[in-house]
Amino acid sequence: MFALAQAQYTLTGVVRAADTHEVLPGASVAVPTLTAGTATDANGSFSLPLPAGEHQVVVSFLGYQPVTRTITVRRDQRLLVELPPAANELGEVVVTGSGTLEQKLQTTQMSVEHLTAREAKLLPALFGEVDLLKTLQLKPGVQNGGEGTSGLFVRGGSSDQNLVLVDDAVVYNPAHLFGLFSVFNPDAVQSVDLYKGGFPAQYGGRLSSIIDVRLREGSHEKVGVSGGIGLISSRLAVEGPLAKGKGSFLVAGRRTYFDVFTRAINKVNEGSADYSPIPDYYFQDLNLKANYQLGRKDQVFLTGYYGSDVFGFQSDGGFNFNFKWGNTLGALRWQHTFAPRLYLNTTASVTRYRYNISNALDEFSFDLASTIRDLSLRSDLEYHSADNRHVLKAGAALTSHTFGVGRLQAESVSNLVNFGADVNYTGLEGGLYASDNFTINDKWQLDYGLRLSGFHSGSDTYGGIEPRVAARYTLSPTLSLKANYALMYQYIHLVTNSGSSLPTDIWYPSRLSVKPQRSQQVATGVSWLLGGGKYLLTNEVYYKWAENQIDFKDGAQLFANNDLDSEFLFGKGWAYGNEVYLEKKEGRTTGWIGYTLAWTKRRFPPQRGTTGINNGDTYYPTYDRRHNLTVVVLHQLSPRFNLSGSFIFTSGAATTLPQGRFGFQDVLGGNNNAVAVPLYPNRNTYRLAPYNRLDLGLVYKLRPRHGESDLTLSIYNAYNRRNPYFIYFDRLEDPQTNQTTGYRARQVSLFPTIPSVTYNFKF
Amino acid sequence: MRYFRHRRVAGLLLSMLAPTLLDGCGSLQQDIDVVLPFGPSQLVVEAYLEPNALPRITVSETQPYLAPVELPIVTDATVVLTRANGIHDTLFYAPDIDRVTRKAYTHIGRRRLTARPGDTFGLEVYDTQGRRLTGTTTMPAAVPIQKVEWRFNNETGEQRKAYVLTTFQDAAGIGDAYRLMVHRRFLTRDPEVEYTVQDRLTDGQSITLGTSYDFNPNDTLIVSLFHLDTPYYNFLQSVQDARSANNNPFAQPSGVKSTVTGGVGIFTVLSVQRQNIILRE
Repeated sequence: MFALAQAQYTLTGVVRAADTHEVLPGASVAVPTLTAGTATDANGSFSLPLPAGEHQVVVSFLGYQPVTRTITVRRDQRLLVELPPAANELGEVVVTGSGTLEQKLQTTQMSVEHLTAREAKLLPALFGEVDLLKTLQLKPGVQNGGEGTSGLFVRGGSSDQNLVLVDDAVVYNPAHLFGLFSVFNPDAVQSVDLYKGGFPAQYGGRLSSIIDVRLREGSHEKVGVSGGIGLISSRLAVEGPLAKGKGSFLVAGRRTYFDVFTRAINKVNEGSADYSPIPDYYFQDLNLKANYQLGRKDQVFLTGYYGSDVFGFQSDGGFNFNFKWGNTLGALRWQHTFAPRLYLNTTASVTRYRYNISNALDEFSFDLASTIRDLSLRSDLEYHSADNRHVLKAGAALTSHTFGVGRLQAESVSNLVNFGADVNYTGLEGGLYASDNFTINDKWQLDYGLRLSGFHSGSDTYGGIEPRVAARYTLSPTLSLKANYALMYQYIHLVTNSGSSLPTDIWYPSRLSVKPQRSQQVATGVSWLLGGGKYLLTNEVYYKWAENQIDFKDGAQLFANNDLDSEFLFGKGWAYGNEVYLEKKEGRTTGWIGYTLAWTKRRFPPQRGTTGINNGDTYYPTYDRRHNLTVVVLHQLSPRFNLSGSFIFTSGAATTLPQGRFGFQDVLGGNNNAVAVPLYPNRNTYRLAPYNRLDLGLVYKLRPRHGESDLTLSIYNAYNRRNPYFIYFDRLEDPQTNQTTGYRARQVSLFPTIPSVTYNFKF
Repeated sequence: MRYFRHRRVAGLLLSMLAPTLLDGCGSLQQDIDVVLPFGPSQLVVEAYLEPNALPRITVSETQPYLAPVELPIVTDATVVLTRANGIHDTLFYAPDIDRVTRKAYTHIGRRRLTARPGDTFGLEVYDTQGRRLTGTTTMPAAVPIQKVEWRFNNETGEQRKAYVLTTFQDAAGIGDAYRLMVHRRFLTRDPEVEYTVQDRLTDGQSITLGTSYDFNPNDTLIVSLFHLDTPYYNFLQSVQDARSANNNPFAQPSGVKSTVTGGVGIFTVLSVQRQNIILRE
């Protein structure tokens, strides 16, 4: 007599949104009667082992209506599900969606934040400009660099230690206007994942974070136009199907236009006495995404981005200053499905970041430029075992970097003056990895992997082994413990000596005295599902230590320097802290509260003929902020009104203020009067006042005849707090004699209360 | 040519943004009280030696930044200058303001200085409080001005302006710097044009420094070319950086690079060439 064992088959498929036909990563696919379930991956695909028989499969995702399908499993099967949205795309707070908090509880992946453009669009924004990177700054463990900047300092890491990817292509400077806005157009973005620790083995090359941005694919059904008109910029996006629904495309563009206003203001003021023209500034960017289904097993995706910032200034004295910078990138990905549980993604990408400063004054012109260009190829294989207990990943990546560092060209019309300097470096960076996400039993899950990375730059070769481990132990259905460890190498460095991200910061390869940066991070945490699954409370403690950190010597000569590495100093960094995070994702009121207590320190000992930084003593970088509290609340007042508010409190930034001064006369001919020269002692020993701010937002859904539209109102800094941007010292003068009578400390703030209105539409 | 340094680019950018940002919202600046810790006061010296002139130096001390503005004269300092031939010369304490140049000096020597390029001098300043400052310097080679030319633009009347070109031969070896100043009529006025360049890219070559269309026909100008050695150049740059770091949130303030130890300041031998020109058509 034979006892037939229950045959196991695999149900695979893709979950998409019914309205836009976009894939839905992170959607829940479950069979409640079997207590079996899984979540869709970044491509919206899932794989679920099921026994033969009839089953009810429930597919759900935040913001969409759940769909139940009854299927009869007799062999490996494919299921394509489309979820209708719970409400319209624009402006409704997400309502039901079982399982998302539960998934967060169950996954081994900790130290990660997931943000969708839909969520970001509901939050109040500076000047009404929705910004995903700035929204990430509202999550615990993520510090912003300064008022209005979008540079991210994750767990004490500097802003160049973030790997910013757009569909697997690297973005070198994700900021417009010195960090005031990020380069990501929310109309084009599907979601952003921010990894703060526990980095999966497929990522490498930066120490502190991975920011993985995925663009939207565009609707497969019909052509749609959407956009918005705002206070300082406008956006327009067009999407639609390709080849009768076999593919789709999305093109989204943005441009600011306050240069139009400033030029008008300049024209009006031209005649007046103390006329000083307001400089021109604008930025524009363009995103493109297209995909096409080649066959049952193959799909190709194309991504493109072009952005540029222009800052120009012209004076009557014939002085012409033009500063231009931007990223351009393109990526082509081919996804091939070998079998229901085995697929391969191969991506080729190119990215370039450059800036150019040109000065012209009468006969003389002076140009400064810097570029970094990458050509990259990577291949990633993913395999889900039949019993779904293993998810194996393996892959390889190779990038060719070209660095054009500090190119200088000075000339005069009559060619009396003509000289230049141009330094170019190249580097080849590679990585090889393998990892396994192993569900050992119903209590233990382990994700372990190894990455081998290397870098070759002309004269030198470097390499490293990067182990990555993460574990999860389920104490109960509502409580799990997690821990992770990651070792990271970084081979290219952004050399900057300021706290903000300036477009003139230089990307530099490891070579000669510049060794690769290296960091190790351990983190451990507890996740607790409360209130019947409505709230998730997470507490995470981390410790990170980094070597071969880079900074500049005082008074370093950055341009026209064929020997730039001699200007660098090397040191160590440490960061440790605790992050507490409470979030609610369902219901009419959603949001989160995050509190981080963190320390960041650096030490650069005496070296290379200098006394090091801060005389070799441990010091705090400017972005060391002891306490960081954010409270974000979104509330659906009625089907047409959504309210949101966010409150931020951070301890003051560290800064260097002068201790003393001395009088300097200079030689005959130099200064007419003696001047006071400040003396700066140790670095960053002074703390600015704490930063706090309340932003309020309101989204009001209109009822137009065609399509959808809404009005988004935003109030930035609602109670008009004068947050310190920097402190300087002003000279007090006797009005009659013009003699200096003393000095006074003054604090400058950047933004008062700023209200804004944006009109968004969609057809 | 101005070599825009990293921080100065940022400073320039901010100084352009600042009027926009601060004008419309004047109340975004506010006075605050800060407590600035001040360590012990240090000796400050400005000593520019000139060949064939009496050595005159200025000794003062550092003060807390927010201290009331008053002349920090050090009354008990002794200054010893070691000449090129090894003789120690104690300077006299005689605080005075030169009527012509309007510069203040505290100590003066009695014998004129003989200095040739390559001569090394030493300085020692000490006071009764136990503070002691020392320094050495070597006179740089003389770099004569080869020629000064001027070109007019094509305008007439009020719009007719000229720029001035100064040509000289860079001394061999990297590490030289040059400070160009152009004054209208008097050296005691603020210069019309003033900047400093290094010879990093133009070592040993003929260098031409220019100005913009700043000058009118028949202007009487004094062109001064200072030849600086690397320590003096670093001192001037660091003083400028420290002063501009005050208003610049992007800058990383750094210390002044004195050429003396035990205190703050500059001890150097001036190598300057001047030429008077009248901008005739």
